[in-house]
Amino acid sequence: MMEHRVVSDGGLQVTPNGCAIDIRLPWYRSLPLSVVEVGDVEIDGTLIDRSRIRFELNGESLRLDELLPRTDDWWYVLDSAMLRIDGYVVARNEPHVVSVTVSIRPPYIHGWTRITKTTKTITVQ
Amino acid sequence: MNIPKDGLKLGTTLYSLTTEFHAREYTFEQLVRKVAAENLGPGLEIVGFQSFRGFPNVSDEFADQFKALIDETGLTLSCLGINADVWINPEVPMSEEESVAYHKRQLDAAAKLGFPLVRYQFPAGANVIEKCVPHAEKLGVKMGLEIHAPHHTQHPDILAYREMYERVRSPLLGFIPDFGASARAVPPSYFDTQRANGVPDGLIALAEEYWHLDVGTPFERRDQYVQAARAKGYEERHIIGLEIIFGLFSRADPRSWSEIMPQVIHIHGKFFDFDESGDEIAVDLAKVLPVFVEGGYNGFMSSEYEGYMWTDADGFDKIRRHHQLARRVLAPLQG
Repeated sequence: MMEHRVVSDGGLQVTPNGCAIDIRLPWYRSLPLSVVEVGDVEIDGTLIDRSRIRFELNGESLRLDELLPRTDDWWYVLDSAMLRIDGYVVARNEPHVVSVTVSIRPPYIHGWTRITKTTKTITVQ
Repeated sequence: MNIPKDGLKLGTTLYSLTTEFHAREYTFEQLVRKVAAENLGPGLEIVGFQSFRGFPNVSDEFADQFKALIDETGLTLSCLGINADVWINPEVPMSEEESVAYHKRQLDAAAKLGFPLVRYQFPAGANVIEKCVPHAEKLGVKMGLEIHAPHHTQHPDILAYREMYERVRSPLLGFIPDFGASARAVPPSYFDTQRANGVPDGLIALAEEYWHLDVGTPFERRDQYVQAARAKGYEERHIIGLEIIFGLFSRADPRSWSEIMPQVIHIHGKFFDFDESGDEIAVDLAKVLPVFVEGGYNGFMSSEYEGYMWTDADGFDKIRRHHQLARRVLAPLQG
């Protein structure tokens, strides 16, 4: 079951410039970034502006609209990607409701999109 | 491990342990060792893009480590799952040449890691597979088309491959039946999950009724179910949530596998749930296994648990039960 796996347990982090969310690929196998789309990202009910979010994986930092052309860059199924949101400060030691939607288009199933949304309540120590 | 030389032999695909692997509860090496330690082999099947980082690229160093691990465990590599990823660019499919090259790279990986055969997928197309045959022959790696629900031996997509096989006549080409295609029921755990998500019992009963109808194709039955469900005023999201049963599980007669028996080179023993007496509820092994034993099948059946898609049940527990049931069914057949 992948419904609870997009946002990792304890996956909200405080960074020097804001916050970051540890996310996982909600599928059984590795996929190229070209078939992965990060959808809505919400913290405590606030929809985060997509232009503020960076997708970090394999040592690269991408805008969310830069995934589609990445046909040669793979998200290995065991790796976390980080969604870095600079300027968005979350308080420590209080619960935050974090919600992330990731859509994938398995490259051997034409025309099918699988949408997985995970919501977790996370307290940053 | 005592491995019989002939007949239907048991095994496991690590795909059955997707929950444990994805959750990082076990590393790849730990999964392989536990499959061996719990006597869930001797066959071992692996999906390349699931288990191997960087697949289909395989370094010499990794190949050596992998072979040493397999030697240590006494398992036998049965099959490498490869993928027909023609839509890596969701807007422009691979050309036939690109797809041939993509499949050849995965065949190379299979040969380098020591797999005797690959499972390939029908979206590759018969032309692409035909063009890969000389390469497979050079490597000595067999290529098996997985026949997965809603496909069956007489489906037009499968007939296209059967015709190509008839023409090419390579001993390296074969089929891999997936038992989800010859199921007798929808796994109850799937419906349990839907109920827990608020899908009404009446709608589940309706979907189940159409799944069991004896008219048309699975997708025609699906469309009829959707129409009937809408007419009864059920919520669209609930209706759509049940559509998947018409694609994941289908009701080919288990005896229909005998049509392709000489070309069967591997089996996906798909399974989900057990009743109190240890029988699998969706896949009637007592009906399906004799077809293969009596047909003279010689090869592995990978226990392939797929309930991970909707529950987090313990994959090892599921495989143990499946092996126990398979041994019980096979004992009188194999003597």
